[in-house]
Amino acid sequence: MGILNDLWLGLQEFGQFLPIMMMFIGVIIGIMVGVLPGLSPSIGVALMLPVTFGLDPMSALVLLVSVYLASNYGGSITAIAINTPGTPGAVATTFDGYELTKQGKPLHALMTSLTASTIGGLVGTIILILFSVPLASLALSFESYEYFALGVFGLTIISSLAGKSPLKGFISSGIGLLLITIGFDTQLPFSRFSLDIPDLADGITFIPALIGLFALGEIFYSIEKGDNKKVEKTAKVDLTKTLPVKELLKLKTLMLKSSVIGTLVGCIPGAGGTIATFIAYDNAKSSSKHPEKFGKGSLEGVAAPEAANNGSVGGALVPLLTLGIPGSASTAVLIGALMIHKLNPGPELFDKEPGLVYGIFVSLFFANIFMFFVGLMGNKLWIKIIAAPKSLLYPIILALSFIGSYFIQNSVFDVGICIAFGVLGWLLIRGDFPTAPVVLGLILGKMIEENLRLSLIKGDWTEFFTRPGSLIIIVLALVSFFMPYIKKKLMRKAN
Amino acid sequence: MNAKKTIAGITFIFYLGLLGYLYLGIGQRKTYPAKPISIIVHSKPGSAIDYMARKVAEIARKYSDVAFVVENRSGTQGLVAMQHVLDMKADGYTLLGVTKSFLSTVMVNKSKVSLDDFQFIANMVSDPEALISNQDRNFESLDDIIQDAKKDETQVWIGPGTGSRDHLMALKSWETLGVEANWIDYKSGPQSVLAILRNEAAVYVGNPADTKGKSKLDIVSIASEKRLASLPDVPTFKEQGYDLNESMWRGFAFKKGVPEEAVEYVTGVLQQVVKDEEWKDYCNETYVFSNFENHEVFTNRIVKEIKETNHYLNKAGLLVSYVNTSSIPLIFILLIIIIAVFVALWIFNKFNIRKINYDQIIGGGILSLSLFFYYQTLLFQIPATVNITSPALIPRIWIITLLLLSVILIVKSKNQTINKSNKSPKTVLIIIALLLAYLVAMQWVGYFFTTPVFIMAAMYLLNYRKFAMMAINAFGFVIFSYFIFNKLLHIDLPLGWLFI
Repeated sequence: MGILNDLWLGLQEFGQFLPIMMMFIGVIIGIMVGVLPGLSPSIGVALMLPVTFGLDPMSALVLLVSVYLASNYGGSITAIAINTPGTPGAVATTFDGYELTKQGKPLHALMTSLTASTIGGLVGTIILILFSVPLASLALSFESYEYFALGVFGLTIISSLAGKSPLKGFISSGIGLLLITIGFDTQLPFSRFSLDIPDLADGITFIPALIGLFALGEIFYSIEKGDNKKVEKTAKVDLTKTLPVKELLKLKTLMLKSSVIGTLVGCIPGAGGTIATFIAYDNAKSSSKHPEKFGKGSLEGVAAPEAANNGSVGGALVPLLTLGIPGSASTAVLIGALMIHKLNPGPELFDKEPGLVYGIFVSLFFANIFMFFVGLMGNKLWIKIIAAPKSLLYPIILALSFIGSYFIQNSVFDVGICIAFGVLGWLLIRGDFPTAPVVLGLILGKMIEENLRLSLIKGDWTEFFTRPGSLIIIVLALVSFFMPYIKKKLMRKAN
Repeated sequence: MNAKKTIAGITFIFYLGLLGYLYLGIGQRKTYPAKPISIIVHSKPGSAIDYMARKVAEIARKYSDVAFVVENRSGTQGLVAMQHVLDMKADGYTLLGVTKSFLSTVMVNKSKVSLDDFQFIANMVSDPEALISNQDRNFESLDDIIQDAKKDETQVWIGPGTGSRDHLMALKSWETLGVEANWIDYKSGPQSVLAILRNEAAVYVGNPADTKGKSKLDIVSIASEKRLASLPDVPTFKEQGYDLNESMWRGFAFKKGVPEEAVEYVTGVLQQVVKDEEWKDYCNETYVFSNFENHEVFTNRIVKEIKETNHYLNKAGLLVSYVNTSSIPLIFILLIIIIAVFVALWIFNKFNIRKINYDQIIGGGILSLSLFFYYQTLLFQIPATVNITSPALIPRIWIITLLLLSVILIVKSKNQTINKSNKSPKTVLIIIALLLAYLVAMQWVGYFFTTPVFIMAAMYLLNYRKFAMMAINAFGFVIFSYFIFNKLLHIDLPLGWLFI
């Protein structure tokens, strides 16, 4: 029972005053980081870094890991409350989360997201503890061919995001894919389509575009509809039921499954939690008994991406701890933190510092549970904010989006990007074009192009089909792409 | 009601106090340094230079009256960070973290930013370039690599970037070792390390720290004068009979024209930092040489290295123009395309403008955009020296897909009834105009004046009329953002050109 022994060792290392304090602080700061648009988990972790220099390695890592974990949850709060994904990983949560808020059920959405995040985090941690070695070889086996296939797989999800008109969904994703080619070529040192504008030389900054498309686009559209003039107390918020326990229990298998998806995709370096959330959403929809409710306020549509998002935290730690490779922007900061504390991330770490490694695992457990209770308290506050009159709320959200976009690079140009994407989002929503596929295109475009071109330099296109890994993913992609249409056909026949 | 008015009044007084503090400098020190000094870093958190900057900031606490605060401004291989520093006043409060990679960045991008715009304060470390291979290859010396290259005509060397320092190191090594090999750009450090862990390539050009904790990786050789104290078993090029020195240096620079007292102060602090035990520890742990060079030595080094970098970039065929300049300004092309597309739409709807519906307008817009992008791909020209697939390939796939889809959309939505709704975009357009005005005004008058005006104006536009609540929210938001951004995150919100 080596693992139990190690866990006991870890518990002893973690169970001291300072590490536990750092976990508390980390979770609270993490949630704040997630809530503020523009502050992504990686920026949050980096901001905490100087603080850790003065701490012992255990406390330092606990602080950073807690911030990382909690910020992934925090992003979902604003996604649900005001349609502003606080972090890229919360994009998929807006689809159903914000719908629920509009229907006056924000608490249901917030509770589902909190529970799913917690379960995702716990499952991710368990998988990390038990299977980090086999998962490391999965992470290592991903070559450019598999990355490309994974990117294509991600794209096929449009067919389930597209809503009423698949044509419009494809057009939306095409816009995202085309716009992300602006900026540096993936192989040569020159900038494409940037019209000689220096600020555009590196392409479109992702987070301002995201904030614009979702937050601004939605606000513009609802102002046009005249939502702000209605004196309705926005949400006839159902405050009586604090815990929709029954409904949450129904989601338990879905949450577990999505957590596993999140952890698996999260452990692939460079793929990351955001793609995992989309895959989990798509999977939840295709396996749901009520796929028609997705996009119209389905609790399943909130649970799946959130579980996957927090599951990916455990996943991202796999390549970090076992291979010494940062799998995401946040773990890149963690790797530096390890080195500063004279620890070498990699296989040797488990042998040399089992107490530390397992201490981190144990701290992840407790951080998840603590996050759940902080989240419960926070929910009451968010509900109050949601219930504020829209004519008061919208200007504040606009100002917050503005400063969030500015903050990322101290760049006025980025604020311009945010406004431009806001207008784009508005124009699309008016014409019933879904905006989610635009974001999907923005997320996946670079990954597809980089890896396709790298693959073509290394070998030739047949390898996409002869390598088992990429072949499996491509088959999955085809299935996921045609599934909704086949299902529709079958349903029609049945009727 | 009265309670709300009182709160509004108090919020306003706090706001005035904040303005007084920010603009009149009430309660601030007058001599340099009077406020924290930012260190601008060109890469994401966790990168080597980011770490160095954060370590310096940490140690500097012992020796400096004010804090050093690291800010990441990544993008365009460092140009974003350089431009940011040049946009700031030369008042000694914005320091730039510089690395050797900036030399090629400026040349390859033919940017307007020039290294002459900076005053190089001090170099801190030199991080030797290293040739790293997988253990399974059994490369014990440089000669083993040469032997292998003779057997294997397609020996592959990898690393992040084309025209990067690592790429140039590969070119230099091939010249010195008399080897012919291929360079494949794996885009990022981690992806390159993964590839070498899988033994996909013969050599990974990187830095010694890349092998930390990875027992599968061997450092065949490092390109420094002497061995690293923390890696005593790793030989240098020189010991193996090859004269090659190539190190990545990392240091600090100011914008030119910074007051002498600031230069002296910062140099003094940095000099103390490199003598600190913690600094020596840091250098050992990250496998770099501590190499403090003052302004003069550092500047001479850079002048020399610019020539060398230019030579190798030229040799690699990277100092060429990748995009033909269009004979007609692009903006005209765009206009012509839009006009043509909408004329076509008009004809398609049987010369009836009213029949053009919303879907067709969107379709027409996307059609125009795609054609515009397609025109730009025609201008790409790729030097024959590099082995790549065309940069136009993927954009063209998306463009052609979009062209087809938007044509289908236009055809499909023909004769669609235009449902007249009572929606009116007027308020939205005013709000968008207000946002743009806010953006422009903020740069002139500053964040703290424009924000409450914007928030209250927007609330008024949206028919909110409770003035006390408006004031509480608007001024409260400004105070909140000051504490979060300026105080907690050390991001200075713009004070406006007119006032500073």
